[in-house]
Amino acid sequence: MNDVVLRAEDVHKSYDGLEVLRGVSMEVGRGEVKVIIGPSGSGKSTLLRCLALLEPVDSGGVYLEADPLSGLREKQLAAHRSEVGMVFQRFNLFQNMTALANVMCGLVEVRRLKKREARERALEFLDRVGLRDKADNYPEELSGGQQQRVAIARALVMRPKAMLFDEPTSALDVELVREVLDVMEGLARDGMTMVVVSHELRFAHHVASSILMMDEGKVIEEAPPDRFFSSPSHERTKRFLALVE
Amino acid sequence: MLASFDADVFWEALTSSPYWKGALLALELTLVSLAAACVIGFFLALGRSSRFRWVRALVFFYNWIFRATPTLLQLLFIWNALPQLWPVFAESWFKPFLAAFIALALNEAAYMSEIIRAGLLSVDPGQELAGRALGMTRPRILRRIILPQAVRIIIPPTGNEFITLLKLTSLAFVISLHELLTAAQVRAASDFRYPEAYSAALVYYLAIVSVLMVVQAQLEKRFTWSSVGRRRRVAVPAVAHDAR
Repeated sequence: MNDVVLRAEDVHKSYDGLEVLRGVSMEVGRGEVKVIIGPSGSGKSTLLRCLALLEPVDSGGVYLEADPLSGLREKQLAAHRSEVGMVFQRFNLFQNMTALANVMCGLVEVRRLKKREARERALEFLDRVGLRDKADNYPEELSGGQQQRVAIARALVMRPKAMLFDEPTSALDVELVREVLDVMEGLARDGMTMVVVSHELRFAHHVASSILMMDEGKVIEEAPPDRFFSSPSHERTKRFLALVE
Repeated sequence: MLASFDADVFWEALTSSPYWKGALLALELTLVSLAAACVIGFFLALGRSSRFRWVRALVFFYNWIFRATPTLLQLLFIWNALPQLWPVFAESWFKPFLAAFIALALNEAAYMSEIIRAGLLSVDPGQELAGRALGMTRPRILRRIILPQAVRIIIPPTGNEFITLLKLTSLAFVISLHELLTAAQVRAASDFRYPEAYSAALVYYLAIVSVLMVVQAQLEKRFTWSSVGRRRRVAVPAVAHDAR
């Protein structure tokens, strides 16, 4: 597929002298789902934050539909961030807003839609994640799985060019994981471009276009799920898979 | 029975115009000082976490000055010393109320800045991150997401500050502002009916604080994010500095 939506090119990133990303290149084409796995501290979340434009890169570049985004000023960056959806491990729903207000927030505050129009669209997206009846509930009244589905709706309603998921199910009770994965699988089926950091290997096997293995700030292996799981080429990947499964 | 407590004298004092005017003045002074202190304190709080070292140093210096010196001294300084330093303050527009307002607002801002800072810090950083990810600008995130959540934490200690300030307004007695304590003193001095004169003033202070407590409870409910409106208890460290 030629149509690249999001691309990282030789990205380096350090925090306080510790190099977290050491030359990462990857891209995701339209409609592709890339799943990133790897041990903690391998730089998965940092890579995702760089792709979401939440962290400036030290060197290298991030491109959204071939537009270079590194080096832009904060205000322009903010505008571009709204074109990439981000879903966090800990949901990060706005605690002072109802589920509906959470989903409306980006439309009203960023897209400057009228309240009425934003409301209609937000309800439509809450419906899509099966939570229309929870529209007036505050986050603390929702289960973790419901909160995460609202968070997905909040990102989706902006009609992003790509969706990024940072371990979206790892803070959830086991029996709530499924409902979130179902929503994500639905998205993938509808052709959403996605980058997912997750250790849900069955999900990865099922929906990923390809799987990336990260270790020590680098992508050490990328392959379609079948090949990735049946014959990983890298020794580190084999060891990691043996541990996770 | 009390040896000499004349209920009639007490009642007469309680309903006299110097008392309720004094109480009104005390309440006004408290409200405008606290409001100004909240605004100044908010910017001081932002300054505390500024990127620029000199801004942080300035805020530190401000808080140091106003917290380390007695409020009474600050009040006297602004009323008596300022006009000698700058002749503009010697002109007739510089009234006791204004002087008291400036002194109390500046003083209170130092305390409010710490309270507001604690409130802002109490909000989960994930909230700001999610706002940024949506494409919101920082001022918008602050206004729509962080401040409303911080207010929840800021309200209870601010209630304390209101009470402290209300009592501090009695200091303005020394710069001849005719507030509640002045009324009590004048009343007592006229016929030496101290118990009646002072008790009447107590009643006004108690009444004002009681109303505040009701308002505070309503505000706290308003800033509890739960559709069923149940009270969520948040542990708030008490700020004790009543001996200013």
